[in-house]
Amino acid sequence: MVRRYPPDKHRTDLARRRLWLGLLAAPLLASCGTTSRMEPYKQTDTVIRDGEHVVILARKHHATHEAEEEFVQCIAEDLAKGPTGLEVYDSKEFEDKMYPWFEPSMAPLSTDDLSKLLEQPGVLEQVRDTGVRYVVWLDGSTDRVSSGGGITCAAGVGGAGCMGLAWWEDDARYDATIWDLERLEAAGTIHADVKGRSVMPAIIVPLPFIARPQAKACRGLTDQIKQFLTTPEGYGAGPDLG
Amino acid sequence: MLTFDYHYAMSSPRRRIASMPKFCSPGRVAALALTGAAAWLSACSSSVVVQSTFPTPLVEPLPLRMGVIMDDDLVNYIHAEDVPQQSTWTIDLGDANVALLEPLFESMFLETRVVEGLPASGMGLDGVLHPALEKFEFDVPIGERDEFVEVWMQYKLTLYEPDGTMVAEWPVSGYGKAELRGKREEAVHRAAVVAMREVGASISTKFAAQPQVSYWLEEKTNGATLSAGQASN
Repeated sequence: MVRRYPPDKHRTDLARRRLWLGLLAAPLLASCGTTSRMEPYKQTDTVIRDGEHVVILARKHHATHEAEEEFVQCIAEDLAKGPTGLEVYDSKEFEDKMYPWFEPSMAPLSTDDLSKLLEQPGVLEQVRDTGVRYVVWLDGSTDRVSSGGGITCAAGVGGAGCMGLAWWEDDARYDATIWDLERLEAAGTIHADVKGRSVMPAIIVPLPFIARPQAKACRGLTDQIKQFLTTPEGYGAGPDLG
Repeated sequence: MLTFDYHYAMSSPRRRIASMPKFCSPGRVAALALTGAAAWLSACSSSVVVQSTFPTPLVEPLPLRMGVIMDDDLVNYIHAEDVPQQSTWTIDLGDANVALLEPLFESMFLETRVVEGLPASGMGLDGVLHPALEKFEFDVPIGERDEFVEVWMQYKLTLYEPDGTMVAEWPVSGYGKAELRGKREEAVHRAAVVAMREVGASISTKFAAQPQVSYWLEEKTNGATLSAGQASN
């Protein structure tokens, strides 16, 4: 036998509130998220062999921006992770061993510069000593491209709360240029562009829905670099991350 | 009722507001005042001691026996500056100067020897180098959106004959920047190390190419008066 209870007013109000909040949150959540584009271009059939290392370096000759240290670290760590991980040489150790030739003002900007650099006494021997065959130059940064809205908070004797809506959009744009130190040539480039829009509505309590385009660009670029260095032919567009 | 605006809070320097207890004894007030004053004073001064190890440059040494003058101004160099809207900064670069320059010169020349001053004749030297840190500038951003701390510094290298005759003067500058993550002092430290590495890179790769130095080296080579060369024969 099923017993029927009279509708509870409190429960009905709660359900109604949840419905309204759901209706409000749905478009907000839809507007929060990331879009990404990966454009790999490989111009040789080179692949990494056992015992060969790859080093990740940031381009530092720009006055206004450079790839963030944590981004370089993220790529280096993710590349070395897992059963398919590559042998990644520590960036700082490489710069120290090759000092002063990879300092911001001295680092080669083209493969012609690289050829000249390797002609310097002791430089080629030092590169061979490190076991590094590929240099991945990271160029770019994550920047806030737009933001808007606002949240106002108030506190009184009866309580406190916030009301409003704030949003912001970050753009992570990076280029990874891969040099082959054995063949003395540029092996190719991978361009990554990940945009992320974060939203923070506040109805009494602020609820942040934060997009992380930099983390996504790191994952995307890492996958692409792995494919780049392990696929001899037929390497095309990377996985769709959007 | 207290209100605050999200955008104001995000764009202005962070401020902490502490409410006063309702009932305070005079002793507690004095203790609080002293603690507050100490905190205020420490917040108004920033101190950085630059300490780092610098790698040995991968360069071919010049066949010279070089004397090096590391004077007190260089070894005890401290930059002090009162930055408007911020605090008084003291940046100690003395140890870092020694850590940078001593191994640098050792790798650049066949032999180096620290000398007290000039003249340094009769010591079998080809020349004497006197490095000095002439200028040090830095910029620590105030706004939340500025990302980098920047450091610029300029050394002056003076090359002398062992008898004290000046051969060449060469200003060498270095620039470094570091992301502003965590404490400002740490970012200044990192930027200063980058700038010093840049200076080391310039000195180790461009010293011999300076016109006056190059001419002097040519004279030494043609005259076959290199002490290092003679010693090896």
